[in-house]
Amino acid sequence: MKKITPVFALILLMSLVLSACGGGTPTPAATQPPAQEPTATAPEAPTSAPAAEPLETLIIWADDTRTPILQGLAEAFQAEYNVKLVVEDLGVVQDIRSQAIIAIPAGKGPDIYLGVHDWLGALVASGLVAPLDLGDKQEAFVPSALEAFTYTDGKLYGMPYATENIGLFYNTELVQTPPQTWDELLEIGRQLKAAGKVEYATAISSGALYNALPIWTAKGGYIFGKTESGAWNPQDVGIDSQGFIDGVAWVRAAVEEGLIPETFDYETAHSLFETGKAPFLMAGPWALDRIRKSGVPYAIATSFPDNGAPFSGVQGFFVNPYSKNVLLAQAFLTEYIATEDMMMQLYKSGNRPSAFKSVLEKTDDPDLKAMGQAGINAIPMPNIPEMGSVWTAADNGITLAVTGKMTPEEAMKDAAKQIRDLIAGALAGMVNLPGTWQDQVGCGGTWDPACQASAMKKGDDGLYRLTVNLKAGSYEYKVALDGAWTVNYGSDGKQDGPNYKLDLTADAKVTFVYDPNTRLVTVTIE
Amino acid sequence: MSLLTKHVPNQLKLSTGVAGLVSRLVFLVILDLAAAWFVAQLASLGYFPFAAAVAMITVAVNLILLIPKAYPLRWMVVGLVLMVMFTIYPIVFTVWVSFTNYGEGHLVTKQQAIAQILKLKYLPASGQSYKWTAYRSPDGQYALWLQDAAGNGYLAKPGEPLLSAAPGQAGVGELDEKGIPKTIEGYRRLSTLQAAADKNLTEIQFGEAGKTIQIRSPGEAAELLPLYVYDEAQDAMINQETGVVYRNLRGAFTAPGGQSLQPGFIAPVQFDNFRDFFLSPALRGPLLRVITWNFGFAFFSLLLNFSLGLAIAVLFNDPRFPFKKIIRSLLIIPYTVPALITILIWRGMMNPQLGVINRTMNTLFGWSPPWFTDEWWAKIAILLVNLWLSYPYFMLVCSGALQSISEDYYAAAQVDGASPWQQFRYITLPLLLVAVGPLLVASFTFNFNNFNLIYLFNAGGPPIAGSPTPAGHTDILISYVYNLAFSGSRGINYGFASAITIIIFFIVGAITLFQFRYTRMWEEVSENV
Repeated sequence: MKKITPVFALILLMSLVLSACGGGTPTPAATQPPAQEPTATAPEAPTSAPAAEPLETLIIWADDTRTPILQGLAEAFQAEYNVKLVVEDLGVVQDIRSQAIIAIPAGKGPDIYLGVHDWLGALVASGLVAPLDLGDKQEAFVPSALEAFTYTDGKLYGMPYATENIGLFYNTELVQTPPQTWDELLEIGRQLKAAGKVEYATAISSGALYNALPIWTAKGGYIFGKTESGAWNPQDVGIDSQGFIDGVAWVRAAVEEGLIPETFDYETAHSLFETGKAPFLMAGPWALDRIRKSGVPYAIATSFPDNGAPFSGVQGFFVNPYSKNVLLAQAFLTEYIATEDMMMQLYKSGNRPSAFKSVLEKTDDPDLKAMGQAGINAIPMPNIPEMGSVWTAADNGITLAVTGKMTPEEAMKDAAKQIRDLIAGALAGMVNLPGTWQDQVGCGGTWDPACQASAMKKGDDGLYRLTVNLKAGSYEYKVALDGAWTVNYGSDGKQDGPNYKLDLTADAKVTFVYDPNTRLVTVTIE
Repeated sequence: MSLLTKHVPNQLKLSTGVAGLVSRLVFLVILDLAAAWFVAQLASLGYFPFAAAVAMITVAVNLILLIPKAYPLRWMVVGLVLMVMFTIYPIVFTVWVSFTNYGEGHLVTKQQAIAQILKLKYLPASGQSYKWTAYRSPDGQYALWLQDAAGNGYLAKPGEPLLSAAPGQAGVGELDEKGIPKTIEGYRRLSTLQAAADKNLTEIQFGEAGKTIQIRSPGEAAELLPLYVYDEAQDAMINQETGVVYRNLRGAFTAPGGQSLQPGFIAPVQFDNFRDFFLSPALRGPLLRVITWNFGFAFFSLLLNFSLGLAIAVLFNDPRFPFKKIIRSLLIIPYTVPALITILIWRGMMNPQLGVINRTMNTLFGWSPPWFTDEWWAKIAILLVNLWLSYPYFMLVCSGALQSISEDYYAAAQVDGASPWQQFRYITLPLLLVAVGPLLVASFTFNFNNFNLIYLFNAGGPPIAGSPTPAGHTDILISYVYNLAFSGSRGINYGFASAITIIIFFIVGAITLFQFRYTRMWEEVSENV
C-alpha cells in the first residue's frame, strides 16, 4: 500500500506525457524516424571558433540514397561554421512530402527537405516552401531544371540536383537499330513475333499517362496548354485533343493485334522485357539496376520514335519557410551544396543525370547519357496543383479505351470531362455574381464566388437569372463560374475583365440575367 | 496471520494520509505547470481543439485528486485519460475537421498564415537592391559591403548613412577581383555561410533611419518595407504597394479580383463538405453504384467466408475424419500469412500474362478469366481472395463453437429419427449462430470498410465507363472516397475525408444496430451465458 501512491503518480505522469506525444494529433507526425545524431564529436580544437556548443542546428530531411552523402558533410561543416548538421533519413523521396505537410505546419519540420518539382503547386498554396535566391550560382544549373522549380508567380522555390525521364530500352540481340517511328517499332515486334522470338512488341507499365507519354505526345496529344506568359493553363485540358485520341487509338489497335498486352502493369512489362519476350520497354533510371541485374542485352535509344516527349521530373532541395534559420538554410544550399564536388557526389550515388551543368558534362554513364538525350524535349511534369486531378482520370480513360470498353474518342472525352469537373471543384456548373452587394442577401461577406445565396438559376431558355432586393447605393460585381475565381468575366465579357458597376438611387428589386453565350450580364431594375 | 492483516492497513492508512497528500499536491503542481505551458504553446500555434482537450483533461485530473468524493475515481484515471486521448479526442477532432476546409492549400492555421504573409517584403520604387558581403568586428559589430547593379561599392553600418568608399578611405582595404574589400579596418570578412550562421544578421538594419537596408537572401540586401499589413477590424491583408485589400474568404485572403494570397489557412466551412458529397454532381458521380457494390461485397464476403469456414468445421467435427490435425493445421496457414503478402501473391497469380492461374487455364482451356479488365470477373476475383483470407477465421470460430454443443441433443435427435441435414438445420445452426452471431456482424462491418484488400488488389479497377468522376467497378465507399479526398483534385483534403468518415460511421452504425435489434443477439448471448 505504502508504495502505491508515488508509483501511481509516476505512471499517471508518464501516461500523460506519452499520450500528449502520441495522441495529440491523429497524424503520423510522431512517427518520424529518430534523428541520426552526427557521428562527429566536438571539433578538435578549431582554430578560429573555440566554442564547444554549436551556434545553430540545421536539420535536413533526405531519402536513403542522399542521407549518407549529406551526413558525410556534418563533421567538416560543424568544424568550419560551428553549425551542427542533422540529416534524417525518411526512406523514399515520396514519403518526405507526406511527412512534411504534417510536420511543417506543426512547427516540427526540417530546415531543408528533399523533393520533386511537381509538388511545388501544392507546397506553395499551403505555404510550406520558401522562395530561394541562387544569385550567381544560377548560371551553374541546367536552365530547364531551374524552370521546373519556378512557380507561376515567377519565383524560384527549390534548388535542383538531378533530373529524370523515361527512356526507350531495346533488346540489342533482337533489334539492331532503334526505330524512328512508332509504326516501325510495331513492325519490328510483328516480325519478331511471326518468327516466334517474342510474345509482344512492348508492354506498358501501369500509370499509362506517365509511362507512355512519348506515344501520346508523338501523335500530338498534350496535358495542359500554356497561357500567354508561358505558365500552365489548367483551363486548357488536352487529354481529349485529337492527337491524344489518335495515340490511344493506335495503342488500342496494337492491343487488338496482340502486339501490346491489354493490362498495363509494371511487373509484367519488366518481366517481358527482361526475359526477352518483348524487345522494347519504356522505363526510367530507377529501373536501371533491375534491368542490368537481369542480364538482358540492352541499349537505350537516344530519342523516342516520332520524337515523342517523355515527362521529366526534377529532384531538388526545398527550404522550410517556418525554419528559424531560413538565411542559413539558403546559404548552405547555395554556398555548400551548389558546388561541383557535392553535385558530383549526389550524381554518383543517385543514378540520375545531374542538374548541375559542369557535372552533367562529365557524365560518363552511357545509359544515363542516352536517357538524357532522349529527354532533351522532355515536358516537365506540370507543377500546378490541378495536375493532381489528371492522373487517375486519364489513366482510367486510357484503360477503358485500350480494353475496348469504350471507343478512344468517347473514353478520352469522358476522362477530360472528369478532369475539368474535378478542377472546377465541387461547385462545378455554378454561375455566381460575386461583388459588393453580396452581404445584403446573406452571403456573410463580399466578393465571394461560392456563396449559395447569390448563385444564379438556369432557366429553360439557357439563360441564368437572379433577383434580389438591394438598398440604394453603388455596387460593383463580376461573373464567376464554378464557385471559384479561376474563370471570371468582366463587363466586357472577357476573362479577368473590369468590374460591372451598378448605381441604385433608391431601394430596388434587381434582376440579373446572364447569357453564357455572350458571357454578358443584363440588369433590370424595378 | 489474520491478526496481522487486520492491523497493518490501519497503520499504513495514517502515513499514506500525510505522505499521499503531499505527494499528490506536488504532483498536481508539476502537472498543472506542465499542462499550462503545453496549452499555451498549442494555443499560440492555433491548435485550439487539442489545447482544449489537454486543458479539460488537466482540470478533470485536478478535480479527481482534490475532491474527496471523486477520489475513488483515481483508480480509473489512467484508463479515462487514455480513453479521452485515443478514442474521444480523435472523434471530436474528426468532427471538427469535417466542418473545415483542412487540406492542401489550407494546411496551416490562420496565425501561421498571417505570420508568413507579414514576412513578405517589397522594394519601393525609390529603393535600391544590393549584393552584400558581411564583416564582423571582434566585439560582434557588423558592417556590410554593398554593391549595386552598376558595381559601385558602399560601406554600410547600422545607424550610419551609406558611405561610397574607395580603397584606402574609412578603413577600406584593397579590393579583390569581384570588387569586394579584402579587409576593413577593425572588422574581419565573413563568408556568406559564416554570416548566415548568425541568426541576428537578418534583423540588423543597416544604413540611416528611414532608408534602412536589410539582408533578404544570400544574394541580396535591399531597402525593404513590409508588403502587407493585417487589419484586424476588416479581417483583411492590405497590400502596402498597391493598396489592394485582401479579405478573408473561407481561409484565403482574397482580393476583389479573385487573386488570393498564399498560403491559405484552415477555416470553418459549415456543412460544405457534406453538401458537396451528396449534392455536387461532380463528386456524387457513381455513388449509388459504389454503395450497392459495397453492400454486395460485404454481404457475399460474409456469406462465402462463413459458409466455407462452417462447412470445413462441420467436416472436421466428425471424429471419423482421417489426418484431422495435419489438414486442419494446413488450412489455418492462409490466416497466419500477413494479408498484405497474400493479396499481392494473388494479384501475381491472377496476372493475365504471367500469373500461374491464367497460364495454366490458357494451356488447358485456351481461355482464362480477365480478372483485371472485366467488371464481373474483377468482383469475383476480389471475393475469391477475400474467401482465401477469411475462411480460416470462421473455421476456427465455428470449430470452437461446435465443441460446445452438447452431444445429448444429437443423441436425442437420432432417437427421434432426425436426418443429418435436419440435425444440422435444427440443432447445429441455431446453436452455432447464437455463439458466432456477433462475430458475423463484426465481420460484415470489417468487410464494409475493407480498404486494404480493394486498394492492394486492383485499386478499385477496372474503371467504370462513362462515370462522371474517376471510379472503378470494385471501388467500395472507403476506397472511392480515398481517391476523391487524397488523390483527387487538389491533393489531400482532410475536411472532405472526415465528413465522409462520419457518414460511413452512421451507415455502419445503423446496420449494426439494426442487426443487433433484429436478431436480439445480445440478449440471447447473455441468456446462454
